[in-house]
Amino acid sequence: MTPVTGIDFERLTLQDALDLAVLIEEEARDRYLEFAEQLATHHTPEVADFFGRMAQIEERHRAELIERRRTLFGTTPSAVERRNIFDVEAPEYGTARAFMGIRQALETVLAAEVKAYVFFSEALPRVKDPESRALFQELRDEEVHHQALVNSELARCAEKVDDSEAYADDPVAQ
Amino acid sequence: MTDHASPNDYKSPLKPIWCPGCGDYGVLQALYRALSAIGRPPHEIAFISGIGCSSRIPGYTTAYGFNTVHGRALPIAQGVKLANPELLVIVAGGDGDGFSIGGGHVPHAIRRNVDLTYLVMDNQVYGLTKGQLSPTSPVGLKTVTSPLGSLEQPINPLLTVLASGAGFVAQATPADMPGMTALIEEAIRYPGFSFVNIQSPCITFGEEDQQLKAHKAGMKSLASLGHDPANQLAALDLARAYGTELYTGVFYRNPTPPPTYDALIRQRQVELQRGEPPSRSRVLDGFLRT
Repeated sequence: MTPVTGIDFERLTLQDALDLAVLIEEEARDRYLEFAEQLATHHTPEVADFFGRMAQIEERHRAELIERRRTLFGTTPSAVERRNIFDVEAPEYGTARAFMGIRQALETVLAAEVKAYVFFSEALPRVKDPESRALFQELRDEEVHHQALVNSELARCAEKVDDSEAYADDPVAQ
Repeated sequence: MTDHASPNDYKSPLKPIWCPGCGDYGVLQALYRALSAIGRPPHEIAFISGIGCSSRIPGYTTAYGFNTVHGRALPIAQGVKLANPELLVIVAGGDGDGFSIGGGHVPHAIRRNVDLTYLVMDNQVYGLTKGQLSPTSPVGLKTVTSPLGSLEQPINPLLTVLASGAGFVAQATPADMPGMTALIEEAIRYPGFSFVNIQSPCITFGEEDQQLKAHKAGMKSLASLGHDPANQLAALDLARAYGTELYTGVFYRNPTPPPTYDALIRQRQVELQRGEPPSRSRVLDGFLRT
């Protein structure tokens, strides 16, 4: 099950690779924004703010990649489409929970960063173009750096007491 | 809009209020992508739903939408399609909406073969009303209405629609987003009534073994089993495993789809317009002779 469909990695050009990387960051940004909205709606404001900040980080990565792409290739239309990208760096929908704590949120982010690392690692052997390979290696290594950052945050974050039952409704006669 | 429409073009500004972790978020995202692949603009699409968590979908798209009454999505969708055959009509709802209160409408929509795509988000529970037994709840499920465990056999949605003669029957899970997106797209492209049973977990009232993690571990694609989707008998046999195996993919696709009801209606209208309409006296004579 590949998270990217409709792309022949063997023929990937640097422009395609940059466009793909931009869309991967865009998908992650949008997902974190969705998570922020979900958690805000479901009375978990601290984690909503955290996911909002994650969206800003992904947007910054995206903007940097867009700038590189613009410098090299101007406004040439992209051949890569958003609909072909499935949760490469975006946390999966099933990982969000109402009343989740910061620790769980960090674990969600870590899982997403690991997923992105696996994607670039697995794609690399198929990428033939040297410039595209170099970009993928760079992006893969960035994921390692991101994981280290999240792990250091996790180390400073206290274990959350599982109090989810405190929020559960008691069964009632229907 | 061309086939380059972005998935976000189908996303409305209304924010979903489903529980975080709900399977329906993935279904909605897959729908946006499938519609983007098909390339029909939002004003050429209508979403019709009943009542339930998943029936909120019309509001979350930029297409036309009608969040109707409980169990009545299919009759209204048929009316929409017949009144405006150019619309792409997608029906969405839950297992309760489709196979309990709306169950009587399913075989008739299928036998008429109106060109609709029916997406059922099957979570085996009534989630919106806090977790009562639904028609697809497994035997033994403990809920607020069955504290000692359900005594009822669940309905098998796959067997039900296959036995009613549906031309396209598939099953998907948000645990496989690319697969689910491709199946929804294929269902929409099928010329006739198409059905996708989506195992969309209820994060709040669903069982552990019905969650996405369990789906990922246990799902088996029908293609990997070598199943031929043109083989209706094999499809029926595989569909019997509903509730014990999570098969994903196309169970059945009629290789020679018959004409749709909407196409036949249009043909009848053309035929009637060709001849002179019967005079009032001829119609009355017909009654007098009987």
